[in-house]
Amino acid sequence: MSVYILRRIFLLIPVLLGVALIVFGMVRMLPGDPARAVAGLHATPEYVEHVRSELGLDEPLPVQFGIFMRDLFRGDLGRSTRTRRPVAQEIWPRFLNTLYLTAVALALATIFGMIAGVISAIRPYSIYDQISMFFSMIGISAPVFWLGLILMLIFSVNLGWLPSSGTGTIWHFILPSVTLAAQSTALIARMTRSSMLEVLGLDYIVTARSKGISESAVNLKHALRNALIPIVTILGLRFGILLGGAVLTETVFSWPGIGRLMVDSILARDYPVVQGSVLLLAILFVMINLFVDILYAFLDPQIQYE
Amino acid sequence: MSKRFSLVVVLALFLAVTLVMPSGLAAREGGDLDIALNTDPESLDPVEASSSPAATVMLHSLETLFDMTEDMELEPLLAEDYEISEDGLEYDLYLREGVYFHDGHYFDAEVVKYNIERLQDEEAVFSFLVDPVQEIEVVDDYHARLHLDEPFAPLLINLSHDFISMISPDAAEEAGDDDADPVGTGPFEFEEWTRGEEVVLERYDDYWGDNAYLDTVTFNIVPEDSTRVVQVETGEADVAVFIPPYERERLEAEPDVEVVQTESLRTIYAGFHTRNEPFDDVRVRQAFNYAIDKEAIVEQILEGAGRPSDAPIAPGIFGYSEQEKYEYNPERAQELLAEAGYEDGLEITFHHPEGRYTMDATIAQAIQSQLADVGVEAQLETMEWTTYLDFLERSPEEAEHEMYLLGWGTVTGDADYGLYSMFHSSEWAPAGSDYTYLGHEEVDELLEAAQSDPDEDNREEYYAEATEIIWEEAPWLFLHRDDQMNAVRDGVEGIVFHPREQVISAEAYFAE
Repeated sequence: MSVYILRRIFLLIPVLLGVALIVFGMVRMLPGDPARAVAGLHATPEYVEHVRSELGLDEPLPVQFGIFMRDLFRGDLGRSTRTRRPVAQEIWPRFLNTLYLTAVALALATIFGMIAGVISAIRPYSIYDQISMFFSMIGISAPVFWLGLILMLIFSVNLGWLPSSGTGTIWHFILPSVTLAAQSTALIARMTRSSMLEVLGLDYIVTARSKGISESAVNLKHALRNALIPIVTILGLRFGILLGGAVLTETVFSWPGIGRLMVDSILARDYPVVQGSVLLLAILFVMINLFVDILYAFLDPQIQYE
Repeated sequence: MSKRFSLVVVLALFLAVTLVMPSGLAAREGGDLDIALNTDPESLDPVEASSSPAATVMLHSLETLFDMTEDMELEPLLAEDYEISEDGLEYDLYLREGVYFHDGHYFDAEVVKYNIERLQDEEAVFSFLVDPVQEIEVVDDYHARLHLDEPFAPLLINLSHDFISMISPDAAEEAGDDDADPVGTGPFEFEEWTRGEEVVLERYDDYWGDNAYLDTVTFNIVPEDSTRVVQVETGEADVAVFIPPYERERLEAEPDVEVVQTESLRTIYAGFHTRNEPFDDVRVRQAFNYAIDKEAIVEQILEGAGRPSDAPIAPGIFGYSEQEKYEYNPERAQELLAEAGYEDGLEITFHHPEGRYTMDATIAQAIQSQLADVGVEAQLETMEWTTYLDFLERSPEEAEHEMYLLGWGTVTGDADYGLYSMFHSSEWAPAGSDYTYLGHEEVDELLEAAQSDPDEDNREEYYAEATEIIWEEAPWLFLHRDDQMNAVRDGVEGIVFHPREQVISAEAYFAE
């Protein structure tokens, strides 16, 4: 097992090299001149050239890549072209903000999604099932942008219960995390339901029931545990997706997260920040996948890694 | 000695103020103001800053030598007085005494020299405003002399620009390669900046002028328009900037919120590539000006937050001179097009950005449909901002644009910045920002003359003549001035919305 984990961690190196190369190439394929973006509409061409050489963008591409990789191995992600601050300093606090938000959202999604899914699976086609599947359909289809603004109008403007946006207190988490959780909750509910239903029809459940084990023990201990694998897969994927894709929620709720930072940086052609954030997210994505794979082994003893 | 003198002055002032202070004044003191800003400043160091949100934050703690009031009057600030030599090559600045930076450093002529040289040496974004200054001589502690090679009349106005502000040399040195904290001489002291989230400023109690009333001013970064509107509705923000036109009616119905419309210095226009067909013909350019109903755009799309253009620059800018408007007249437009040989219609491409200026894409669509009425088929091409700049920044031969939507803010408040940059032939892209490539000899001469003649009346005369030719030549489809719409909650008094797109809360207070 530990050999397997080590091997997977070593595999990170080629993956990250690949990501670094692709990101480096992609941002430079974007039309638009970063030096001009930094210098602004009112700048003289001399100033634009000055900015270009200051940013090291006047070097040939292979040299730029070489410098990028050299600095990367030293743990230096460079400086933002927009703010001139070290990239790590730009990214880290923003990343933490997104991480907290995502963690809360995913916890909400897991709890409510699984509860709804289990109830639906135990009583398929009942009124509970229909209600929860109706809401999960809405959850999947509602655009994040719209949902966020509607929640804000109801709970901040009309009822005045919650802060509309920004960060600071625990109350600030509620609206953005609910908004961010909506889609995942719906997905998890549906996944839990179908995967439970499948398991509930299997022979060993019938056997368990006939042995006289209580209904709740059958459902939770025998059925749910075996239904968990696809749910965990979804969770892992959602975690990665939410980390990078919370940008709409972050924008609506003025949440200073990494998604917004990335979009702002792409618009400003801030290459180093885009590169740094994508690399960080790539590492996380790979790590989460590894973690999910390990979790499989615990959930299902049949899965073994050599 | 001067230190003791200033102490006496301060004591005397303090006594005077406490003795004559009306009772209502004390009630004004205190309170925390929250302002919802649309973007995070890129930097708060004059060397790196370039946007109006940055300026809004900075001007609360950094001050300039001269101040441009909201009525566009030039007033002394850190410089008390000035003298310009006969030949316009020497500017004597007499500085305010007894001014200290928030870190205790004193303000004197050496500081002025340090700051202007720093802007020039580090090639600040806005250093071109002071680049004509060749040398700064420190005559004595409170007397600096700026030496120029050639007369440059807009200099005083340029010195009032928010990015030509005085920062404490200690703070700048300490920051080294990084951006310096805005340690200035202003009424608010820089407290904290959480990137992407908020900037907090605190009242500086030893301010050289009248102390501010507010305890703190917090700028919250709220990029989404609707969220800023919600924040000012719920009272989470006391002030929200850049209210989108379509939210105006809803906010005005809100009893506790007031929508304030303020003029700006920004002109929105559609430029023509005047070196290529069909816009090499002045009749076509004029026809386009007649074909568009500017009033309708302002009233219906901007909900009144604008003013149809009657000059290439907005009123309030030094050198503005009103022209007879191109009134909406589709028949006249069609006549002119026919005269130019386009009686059977015309196809053009119209490039525009989206989300850069208020309702820009909607305005482009309105222009497209009005052009269709006079037989011009305009194909709209939306471009992302940075790509767009890249696309426009080309020499006349390489340029691929025909007609393009753009805005220009004459941020200094002087026509030199509005007209010279836009219409002098030395400013053709890629060297400058003129993508029309008009190149009119007489305009060139007039703009040069206005730049070097220190006499205000003469300058106004030159600009009036140049404006007349530009108006007639119509290298632009002159659209409108883009006004600002901001929202303030009831009870907040004394906020100033400056035409330079800044929110100033130096004299703001909460009324009970």
